[in-house]
Amino acid sequence: MTQYQDNLPKSAFARFLDAFEENLIALLLGLMTMITFVNVVMRYMFNHSLIWGLEVTLILFAWLVLLGISYGFKKTAHLGVDALINVLPSRGQRIMAVLSALACLLYAFLLMKGSWDYWAPFAGFQPTEGRWFPLGFAEGVRDRAFYVTDQVPMLGMFRWLEDAINYGDSYDKLPRVIPYAIIPFSAALLLLRVSQALVRILRGKQALLIVSHEAEDEVERVAHGEYEE
Amino acid sequence: DPAGCDDGEMVIKFSHVTNTDKHPKGIAANLFMERVNAEMDGKACVEVYPNSTLYNDDQVLEAMLQGDVQMAAPSLSKFETFTKIYRIFDLPFMFKNMDAVEEFQNSEVGQNMKEAMVRRGLLGLGFWHNGLKQFSANKPLLEPGDAAGLKFRVQPSDVLVAQMNALKASPQPMAFSEVYGALQTGVVDGQENTWSNIYGKKFFEVQDGTTETNHGLLDYMVVTSVDWWEGLDADVRDQLATIMDEVTKERNAAIAEVDAQNRQAVLDAGGVIRELTAEQRAHWVDVMKPVWAQFEGDVGADNIALAQEINAKH
Amino acid sequence: MDVVLLFAMVVGLLLIGVPIAVSLGLSSMIFLLVFSDTSLASIAQSLYQAMAGHYTLLAIPFFILASSFMSTGGVAKRIVRFSIACVGHFRGGLAIAGVFACMIFAALSGSSPATVVAIGSIVIAAMRQMGYTKDFAAGVICNAGTLGILIPPSIVMVVYASTVDVSVGRMFLAGVIPGILAGTMLMIAIYVIARIKNLPKGEWAGWGEISSSFREAFWGLMLIVIIMVGIYGIPGVTGAIFTPTEAAAVASVYAFLVASFIYRDMGPLAATDGTAPSSLLQKPHALVTAFFHRDTRHTLFEAGKLTIMLMFIIANALILKHVLTDEQIPQQIAEAMLSAGFGKVMFLVMVNLILLIGGQFMEPSGLIVIVAPLVFPIAIELGVDPIHLGVIMVVNMEIGMITPPVGLNLFVTSGVAGMPMMAVVRAALPFLAILFLFLILITYIPAISTILPNALMGPEIITN
Ligand code: NA
Ligand code: NA
Repeated sequence: MTQYQDNLPKSAFARFLDAFEENLIALLLGLMTMITFVNVVMRYMFNHSLIWGLEVTLILFAWLVLLGISYGFKKTAHLGVDALINVLPSRGQRIMAVLSALACLLYAFLLMKGSWDYWAPFAGFQPTEGRWFPLGFAEGVRDRAFYVTDQVPMLGMFRWLEDAINYGDSYDKLPRVIPYAIIPFSAALLLLRVSQALVRILRGKQALLIVSHEAEDEVERVAHGEYEE
Repeated sequence: DPAGCDDGEMVIKFSHVTNTDKHPKGIAANLFMERVNAEMDGKACVEVYPNSTLYNDDQVLEAMLQGDVQMAAPSLSKFETFTKIYRIFDLPFMFKNMDAVEEFQNSEVGQNMKEAMVRRGLLGLGFWHNGLKQFSANKPLLEPGDAAGLKFRVQPSDVLVAQMNALKASPQPMAFSEVYGALQTGVVDGQENTWSNIYGKKFFEVQDGTTETNHGLLDYMVVTSVDWWEGLDADVRDQLATIMDEVTKERNAAIAEVDAQNRQAVLDAGGVIRELTAEQRAHWVDVMKPVWAQFEGDVGADNIALAQEINAKH
Repeated sequence: MDVVLLFAMVVGLLLIGVPIAVSLGLSSMIFLLVFSDTSLASIAQSLYQAMAGHYTLLAIPFFILASSFMSTGGVAKRIVRFSIACVGHFRGGLAIAGVFACMIFAALSGSSPATVVAIGSIVIAAMRQMGYTKDFAAGVICNAGTLGILIPPSIVMVVYASTVDVSVGRMFLAGVIPGILAGTMLMIAIYVIARIKNLPKGEWAGWGEISSSFREAFWGLMLIVIIMVGIYGIPGVTGAIFTPTEAAAVASVYAFLVASFIYRDMGPLAATDGTAPSSLLQKPHALVTAFFHRDTRHTLFEAGKLTIMLMFIIANALILKHVLTDEQIPQQIAEAMLSAGFGKVMFLVMVNLILLIGGQFMEPSGLIVIVAPLVFPIAIELGVDPIHLGVIMVVNMEIGMITPPVGLNLFVTSGVAGMPMMAVVRAALPFLAILFLFLILITYIPAISTILPNALMGPEIITN
């Protein structure tokens, strides 16, 4: 499969963070699979089903992908088109790399604003003013803290939210603020990882923002004896 | 241009999930669009986004509160997160027929329900009918016992889950797009829906037959955002409300006909329809009615009493 | 005009090396902010709902995971050995077998990218092993994978049927002959290329190798049987057990069990340098530890990573679709092209054009629900059979999936084969020509699509 450019020196903390993110990705996918599998077994063998199974699986799916996006930038693993950049001289390549990092930064920034504006009312916070750029917080936007998921059971550990944001009303399902929290969190993490990539590119430690298959292809051609001398 | 939106006209986006020419909701939404675009030309125009192309029923209410869409008509069970009083419409055998539904919705209690979500930011503009639900399965359903042990696809609603448990059937949540295939291969055994959905989604093709139980209601409410609605000029708002009322009356009055057409279409296409004797029907009622007690606190005992009072008249 | 700008922005960003997902997403956001009143919050909503609101896309992570367990756990290796033993000695034999595998898989799954993921990771590796070039292998699978939506079951067909009110069963039947025809055309093309270009072939290793490799591969091959039975049931014994999407999750669990406990190429029972694999009797605790073993976690992580890369692109393609829909762009283009009042033949050419252009930007189901209601009434007036129209639409969607800039099969192949996007585009090109030829056949010979449903269900009565 794909080759990743991950040759940067690592501190113990960075290694811990890598392991944490990797285990989390594995765990989310594993849970999605097990819930779906268990539901099939329960339906076929016991004529029963976890009524929340489908919804939770889809939430985990969204968590997996959203969390993973920033990991992909950290490891320079996202797919792109390198046909043009490869024919440019190295100076041109560097300019393109900086430009594309700036484009990603703009993407992450706009996504961050959109994510906050989307999530904030569910958490009893205010969205931001302004269309492109946040110009302070809005006032008097109705909150959506009451908005619960379709079938996900309420978890005891989140009961404190009832007093904190729901005016003391009890939740009979998990409020949407919990699954949706991944959206601003991932956007913030994305913003961080893209900024770090930009810095690496400016300091000459990283060449591209997308995964490069070139080196790997060369190795394989040699391995398959396509270069015979 | 009375057909579409011109520069300077206020655009009203109406997002829904059905087709535009056969489903009762789609027909009503298009009628509303045509009338607004003709009668309010220069002031306002409606753009209809059918077939879930813009939002599905789960996303559309969020988008409305966000100000990205102005009108939608989700099924009543979608409002249960806003206020549980709407559960009364999901309870089995609560309404005798569509005339009783119509009278209940037009009563003071029913009309007040349109404003039950105002503090959450949504305002109801009108109830739109689809009709009463029928059961279909891969074996004949005549007595409630026939449904026991079968797997039924239901919408993920507490009331519908309780209803299936009362039948000793197993409620299965499933994405709507997979239901046809699941019924065809037997992953699930049956489902419940109105005639227009059973015909429109072709479920009858892959079922042994459909039993005319009329056991539940599938209706919609046209909603809009309170903030958007209150920000309109008074004359625009009044004109929109008037057109909405007239469209609602006209299309709701035609629902019996649309329902009958779809029922006939199922027969014409070779589907089997089973009718219940009065005695058989009473058995279904006996088994399913106890569900009411479970949700009495949510919907109000007086509201249930009113519905029964109205039933007695029809 | 606005659309041309959008198109230019996507391509421009792609060319300077911006990730595909960001090129699609950023262009959509800028387009939205400039041309509409819709909020940025709707972009965040679309991104989250791309996963949480699209049940059918779940097949993608599950099939990726199943493939990962099969590759890591030695299941794939054994199936490859068996296939090479069977067809490796024919010129182009393995490539033809790959197309056949895609056709079988298409009958199990309703999704094209899932077909590429499931078959591609095994077959591309096998073809590399036989000495085919990576490009050729990727090109074959990328194209054959599109059959996923033509051979029933097919999500796109369900969407079309309910959008225009025709029978889903009829649509499914209508896909059978075209699906077989398209597969056969691809196989013939491979055979011809194999003759001309002298594609690699191996030695015939004899029946002994076939039977011993079959015994080795038995548990892997059983996966196909289990999924077949699970999806279709056995008449008189059991109904179907799971949906095509759930089948992918079941396949993952099965591949994990076979790899960890039967082949023991991974997990707590695997051989460590020099020692033979342990048996479960020696290490009964493996029943629990296998789930958390380093190999299991690593496989889950690798599958998760590929899922993320692909879904990031697909989610942004869905954002683009949302923005285009919000601005009613597809409707405007379709209406402009259809208002010219063409005859039947020109009309069908126009439909093909609209769908081919639309397919550049949008994923199949999204495009169908928008275009079908616009095209359908005109088609009926001109006397086009609705089932025939549906098959034309599906074939167009197939082509859309392997043409840049937005082609889900291109992205997935690039991810699965570890190849640059442009290399996949180039690799897919010769076979794309076959699909175009196929589209022409389908468009002008309605009988290919309608003969089977009409024979089994009687002629279609058009009630509109
Ligand atoms: Na298929
Ligand atoms: Na395309």
